[in-house]
Amino acid sequence: MVQILLATALVSGVSAVAAALLLLAERFLARYGPCTIDVNAGDRRLEVEGGESLLATLMSRQIFIPSACGGKGTCAYCKLKVLDGGGPVAPTEAPLLSAEELADHVRISCQVKVRNDMRIEVPGHLLSVRQYRAVVERMADLTGDIKELWLRLAEPETIEFVPGQYVQLRAPAYGPNPEPVWRAYSIANPPSDAGHVELIIRLVPGGICTPWVFKVLAEGDEVVFTGPYGEFGLTESGEAMVWVAGGSGMAPFWSIARHMRERQIRRPCTYFFGALRRRDLFLLEEFRQLEKALPDFRFVPALSAPAEGDRWDGETGLITEVLERHLAGGAPEEAYLCGSGGMVRAAVKVLTAAGIDRERMFFDEFT
Amino acid sequence: MKRSPQLQRIVDRMAPGALCREGFLGADRRPLEEILDADRSTVAGLGLTHEQLGRGLGEVLAAAVAAQGGPARVGERLTAVHREAMGRIPSPWPGEGTFPKGEVELTDEAAGLTLRFTALSAHLVARHGFYQGRGSPYRLEPDVLARVLGMRGNAGLHK
Repeated sequence: MVQILLATALVSGVSAVAAALLLLAERFLARYGPCTIDVNAGDRRLEVEGGESLLATLMSRQIFIPSACGGKGTCAYCKLKVLDGGGPVAPTEAPLLSAEELADHVRISCQVKVRNDMRIEVPGHLLSVRQYRAVVERMADLTGDIKELWLRLAEPETIEFVPGQYVQLRAPAYGPNPEPVWRAYSIANPPSDAGHVELIIRLVPGGICTPWVFKVLAEGDEVVFTGPYGEFGLTESGEAMVWVAGGSGMAPFWSIARHMRERQIRRPCTYFFGALRRRDLFLLEEFRQLEKALPDFRFVPALSAPAEGDRWDGETGLITEVLERHLAGGAPEEAYLCGSGGMVRAAVKVLTAAGIDRERMFFDEFT
Repeated sequence: MKRSPQLQRIVDRMAPGALCREGFLGADRRPLEEILDADRSTVAGLGLTHEQLGRGLGEVLAAAVAAQGGPARVGERLTAVHREAMGRIPSPWPGEGTFPKGEVELTDEAAGLTLRFTALSAHLVARHGFYQGRGSPYRLEPDVLARVLGMRGNAGLHK
């Protein structure tokens, strides 16, 4: 019995010493010293101290790669090409990368540690992303679970973006959530209003950021966001188009539509917006006014399950059914979609059957 | 028995605020291993498998998503409504990718039962036999789930 106890104590002691040595080694030996990160073949050269993730290192140098998981290696938004110096692909990265991406040196930047000199490629549009401080100027309920936020920029005071782009809003640590999180929302205002960012946000059941917006955030509060990101937006083709959205998928189209009105972009467009019941629709009057300002623009809201008291005389049915009926008379050349995965998949089938080329369909990347 | 570092990481990812606001364990004070064991025993006692129950949830999810927010009839007794939400959520088990957010409300009006689940929770049932901790908003009691889905041992979803 004594021997067993002695052996147990010995093993525990050795384990404790080993753990302490590992900690000391990590603290004092695992310093990688100064490293150089070459961005875009010499376009920028960053002299950094190694040891942090590539994502965090770039952020410290004001290069804001999108990330929705706080660097935990789960969202896969922070993909970058690491041409040299990235080390082997980590087990946490492999499931998030396709064979083509791996062959193309794409990595999950929050899982790549800066240990030595590196050569990376950062898409040009990400190099113009900045971090902004803003004040909540106004909040309004659009429906029971959708809010609109007006953010007045404080620093910098203006933002340049293309209609259809998005920002990443930071929700601070609060309540049961120990760490800040970043979530992406499309910009809903036109670029002419450069001193503001409007967001349309739907409450996500069990979410982290949206409950903070709905229950904690108040007018006058300061927020932080980065942006603009994304490549969703109108092409320059000038050809007739159809838009399909539901719920908070309205946001990029509200930006694009108002931009079209300001610039008098006379491009034939039919915008199909689906909701369940009358109370789930919003901006109806605003779009009716927009139709008057843009004679080639048509707004088609549709309810899939109108309630008796809705007194709805507009289109009814699933938005994809309504879309199919309208396309029976001929389809435009381009389609833009923003909504849930189910709606988008169903809409793609209808659009394909109507003869729209898959390469002429454009999606907001959060569907 | 000492928990492996891998399992501890999974438990850490199940904590409130790690991947979602309320986490996956609710107010359950039982260790994850015990939760899994208890539910495994219940499912085995029903003569079913986690895969069968997960598949049943998957069928309901597909029908609800296709209805694009409207009520979807599933069989003769059930109604499912999908509430969409933008964004994706990863599995607490690493390397399993991400799943669309949003939830399904499944109602058996005759029995007066309503269940809520997500694409991720259906995956966790099928793949890991994890029905979440008691008090979690998406906790599914296996016996109740089997009853709502009309599943009995060696049987599929009853229509």
